[in-house]
Amino acid sequence: MFGLQLMLIGMVTVFAILLIVIYGSRFLVYVINKFVPAEVVAAKEKSDNVPMDVLQQAVSQITGGKGHIVNVTKLS
Amino acid sequence: MGSIGDIFQRLYDMTAISSIIADPSFLLMYLIAFGLLYLGVVKHYEPLLLVPIAFGVLIANFPGGEMGVIQADSQGLVPLADGTMESIWDMPLHKIAHEFGIMNYLYYALIKSGLLPPIIFMGVGALTDFGPMLRNLKLAIFGAAAQFGIFAVLLVSLAIGFTPQEAASLGIIGGADGPTAIFTTIKLAPHLLGPIAIAAYSYMALVPVIIPLVVKALCSEKELKINMKEQDKLYPQNMEIKNMRAVKIIFPIAVTTIVALLVPTAVPLIGMLMFGNLIKEIGADTSRLFQTASNGLMNTATIFLGLCVGATMTSDAFLNVKTLGIVAGGFCAFALSIASGICMVKVWNLISKKKINPLVGATGLSAVPMASRVCNGISTKYDPKNHVLNYCMASNIAGVIGSAVAAGVLISFLG
Repeated sequence: MFGLQLMLIGMVTVFAILLIVIYGSRFLVYVINKFVPAEVVAAKEKSDNVPMDVLQQAVSQITGGKGHIVNVTKLS
Repeated sequence: MGSIGDIFQRLYDMTAISSIIADPSFLLMYLIAFGLLYLGVVKHYEPLLLVPIAFGVLIANFPGGEMGVIQADSQGLVPLADGTMESIWDMPLHKIAHEFGIMNYLYYALIKSGLLPPIIFMGVGALTDFGPMLRNLKLAIFGAAAQFGIFAVLLVSLAIGFTPQEAASLGIIGGADGPTAIFTTIKLAPHLLGPIAIAAYSYMALVPVIIPLVVKALCSEKELKINMKEQDKLYPQNMEIKNMRAVKIIFPIAVTTIVALLVPTAVPLIGMLMFGNLIKEIGADTSRLFQTASNGLMNTATIFLGLCVGATMTSDAFLNVKTLGIVAGGFCAFALSIASGICMVKVWNLISKKKINPLVGATGLSAVPMASRVCNGISTKYDPKNHVLNYCMASNIAGVIGSAVAAGVLISFLG
């Protein structure tokens, strides 16, 4: 009987706390959306050739800006 | 001056070999240590935890090494070298170190005092991103359903003769949260700390094996193919977060306050988890604290926790029926927690238009983020485009809060 009571109290408490967290967080989001200015996300520079840019940056980093990629060949 | 034979006899007695031959049970402990090392090193199952635990088991079981943690009886009495008994709680730390070796000093100073689990929780908080949960708040409720295993095993353990405190410590393994299991056991049944910690961490390490087993037994292929992104498109969420950074900073403060008001016994865990998360989310202003909490301090705590927990697994403490019962019961708690999360999703799907992949329920237990990664692997196996990681993380992170709250309830009723 004691075990069943403990199970009931435990599960009800866990559900209650998580429901409070869920609805409390929704309320928090509502308040922040209403009173805090929206986050400004810096626009990323668009590039058509991302892998090549990454390779070029890696080569520049390793060679201290002296190296340049001339040609990239797929081995297999 | 003794004969050559006497000298060799003394040399033989000096080694651990003589004691091992006299009590071969040590060999079984070496096998367990090697098995855990194999899982950690070769299989890469939670190596950061299993390797220190396994090495702790190994060094604790060399007779004469004084690296095994001594087991106090139910009154806290331990035998001293002169044959007298003394309460371990009345002994100063330097005396513990002198009488029983450095590992006992570390164990009583760091583990038995309850210091390390909250510190590890702080590190976990610093490494956790609550973003996926905040974006899918409804899914967090499955973190509550998955705590059922804790209480179901508690009930069964009571029925087969464990004390309420022991049963609660055994059940908390189902929370799949090592620090929570240790913290609860220290408070309720400290004499069971070794086997419970080993069971909790071993099963956490075996998440990639246990979750697929339970999922396969309970879910159909059709259910596992439920695509959450498509469901989101069909039934879009009506809540947009315009300033996620502000939400993420206020969230840990709000959760700590709510939990502290309702379940104060959970504050050492939830409070430290949220503090770690807060110093992460604040950003540059607290970046030095974040670096320390998530790297240096966390790693130091993990090393000492792993070694000390392993060192509690001495042959005389581990090789008995009760320990084997704990290992079996821990598995049931773990599997039941996964199953109850899945079952709640199935019930949800019966009444809701927007269907949820049952894998989201399977990750309602803690074990962040491995449980989510494993479930994402299962879903992509059935449909390579169906990535459920972010959705699983929502219930997975809620599971950390849920298991800490469950631990708080058990401690306040039984502590």
